[in-house]
Amino acid sequence: MQPLANVTRLQPASRAGSIQIKNVGQVFKTSTQSVEALSDVSLDVKPGKFVVLVGPSGCGKSTLLMMLAGLRKQTSGTILINGAPIVAPDPDRIGVVFQEPSLFPWLTAEENVEFPLTLRGVDKAERRRKAQEALLLVGLDGFAKRHPHELSGGMKQRVSIARGLVQDPPVLLMDEPFAALDEQTRMTMGDELLRIWAATGKTVVFVTHSLTEAVYLADEVVVMSARPGRIVDHLTVTLPRPRTYEMLSGDAFGAMRDRIWRHIRKSA
Amino acid sequence: MTISSTTLRRMIVVSLILCWEILPRFHVIPELFLPSLSSTLLAGWTDAGEYGHALMVTLYEVAVSMVFACGGGIIAGAVVGSLPRPRVLIMPMVSSLYAVPLVILYPVFTVWLGIGSESKIAFASIYGFLPTMLATAAGIQTIDPQLLIAARSMGATLTQRVTRVIIPAAIPTVLSGLRVGGALVIVGVVVSEMLISSAGIGYLISRYRTILDSAHVFAGVLLVLVLAVAFNAIIRFVERRAAIWQTGTHAGADAAGGDAPAILPATA
Amino acid sequence: MIGSLGLKLARFAVVLSVFALWEVLSRTGMVNPRLLPSASDTIAMLGQLLQRASVRSDLAVTASEVAVAFVLAVPCGALIGFAIAENRYFAEVAKPLLFFAFSIPKSIFLPMFILVFGVGFSQKVGFAFFSTIFIVIMSTTVAVDSVKTEYLTVARSYGATTAQTAFRVYLPSMLPVLLETVRISMIFNLTGVLLAEMYASRDGIGHQIATWGENFQMEQLLAGVLMIAIIAMTFNELVRWVETRCSHWRT
Repeated sequence: MQPLANVTRLQPASRAGSIQIKNVGQVFKTSTQSVEALSDVSLDVKPGKFVVLVGPSGCGKSTLLMMLAGLRKQTSGTILINGAPIVAPDPDRIGVVFQEPSLFPWLTAEENVEFPLTLRGVDKAERRRKAQEALLLVGLDGFAKRHPHELSGGMKQRVSIARGLVQDPPVLLMDEPFAALDEQTRMTMGDELLRIWAATGKTVVFVTHSLTEAVYLADEVVVMSARPGRIVDHLTVTLPRPRTYEMLSGDAFGAMRDRIWRHIRKSA
Repeated sequence: MTISSTTLRRMIVVSLILCWEILPRFHVIPELFLPSLSSTLLAGWTDAGEYGHALMVTLYEVAVSMVFACGGGIIAGAVVGSLPRPRVLIMPMVSSLYAVPLVILYPVFTVWLGIGSESKIAFASIYGFLPTMLATAAGIQTIDPQLLIAARSMGATLTQRVTRVIIPAAIPTVLSGLRVGGALVIVGVVVSEMLISSAGIGYLISRYRTILDSAHVFAGVLLVLVLAVAFNAIIRFVERRAAIWQTGTHAGADAAGGDAPAILPATA
Repeated sequence: MIGSLGLKLARFAVVLSVFALWEVLSRTGMVNPRLLPSASDTIAMLGQLLQRASVRSDLAVTASEVAVAFVLAVPCGALIGFAIAENRYFAEVAKPLLFFAFSIPKSIFLPMFILVFGVGFSQKVGFAFFSTIFIVIMSTTVAVDSVKTEYLTVARSYGATTAQTAFRVYLPSMLPVLLETVRISMIFNLTGVLLAEMYASRDGIGHQIATWGENFQMEQLLAGVLMIAIIAMTFNELVRWVETRCSHWRT
């Protein structure tokens, strides 16, 4: 993977999105009982912020993300992105990156990135140009013609990120995107993501299990508890940017990670 | 000193062919049991017209049966495979039905439809139908649901999800269903011609068998073998073309000559 | 979700409605009853057939052919399969040839068996052996390949002897696949015997079914088909039941 030069030029920090989550609740009903998965969740995300959701398994952080993506409906409350409610997937406003890269194995990297544009009938030259830009942004410009099975796990996830960004949506949602990667790749991908974020200025909502990853990446960390899922803490990470590896062993970093861990231990 | 496995294999094949020629020539094996390669080919050559005519009859029956067996099997398999309720209800019954030696149904078809092409087509269609259906149903279930969610997040409509995700993802399965079902259709047609009929290669084989003309019997058998192998090779060629994106392990199994775990009776 | 009892009832209902449809079609004359005797008549005929000494002796002939071919083909095929799977070089040489042999239709060689053995017991057993052995070889190589090398490494690192490895690692890991082999090879074996009997034979239930067909005795013919189907499906379900019993540890 090539180190990235002047990408800022290619993808100007155009549109960043605002997110308002107001009193969102989710109740799953089975034939015998109803389970409250999310309870009265409210959250405001300012344009261009990098927000990380953490919490124990079953706290509904992924559910919340799927609602932001329009893939699932909340039982109560409203979700606004750029002031307008989300009722269905809206690729104009939202790009999604999943835990599994979810690339179509029969398409090349480039065709995968083009896929959202293909769905909307964008003409071929335009598609190609945008896909090239997005692949360059994620550092895969030499791999456009490869099929997914010819790419490593990290590279696949880069393609998936490029696909999320290709329509230049103001919001990028990421559901544990690096969870399946090994530790080293994960660290590299974290730095890459921050670089891409800085270059594009998107609003990012990122779900993870890793406390270190949360503090390392985020402007703001939102801590959730389980049964029912609700927000128990919302902290602002004060570490300067760009983040560096050395910060991981600093006191400020440790203090923030401890604070999150205490919440999670209590709730789990 | 060791010879490479490929060389040894070629040597085995060549020596088998040589044995086929030499052993009957020198009466190590009676020509009644195994006519030599040259006399088999000669028999086929001298009566090429007769074999050609029989081949046309057989090919016609194979083609019509293929439409019924593979078309019906693929459609039924796709429906049953993608709808969970019918699948749970029907699949165990179908695979249980699969244990029945279908050849006993052939006399029923001759009573109903006579000894012409109709009874062969009916029998071969049924013979090829079940495996094609089972293979297709199994394949449809292996489509990664995450791919459909990803497509939805990019705003794909239902039609787009079918044409751009489900159909391309199902192609390898459908092809392998076609390969299995097609092979069975060929066997079904030839076997039914051998049992009761008045035309086709199977009929020729049986007729020459009753007059103990081994060379002509073998020429017919050889012709069917060529037909089966050619059909298999064509589908494999298309499979390799269509499934170029599939994982390396699959390509490896293909190189070895088939998918080892797919224990489906290619031929009974 | 429907419960497993509900599911069984639903399946039973499907089977029942097939028979009901059959009965109605024939009784109302929508289909000529001479071409399709009613289900009840067919079942009654099946009962009668089982009383007949000639049918019983045909069944005995078929059963003995099936048993002999099976007892010969399964161990032979399994041994060859083991030999191939265990020796890397041998496997590389033989596997493509085997795959080829596996993929060509066996039924068309049936006339050869008549030319060599004449018409009789050995010809039918020979043909059934021939049509079964390849699937046994194939499945056995798959079964051996299904033994994970991790298990072998663990066993060896704890000092397992060869016998212990065979009985405590190979056998339990392969058991489900081996049972599957038994089940599938029986389908091939039965098809082989019946086809041979229908093609040229003086006895056996396959021969009897072909004769009923030639004489347009639809009631007997359908009863025979029903009988074979029931026997085949019963054996199949039996092996499957053992399979689920033995592979309860599989998730």
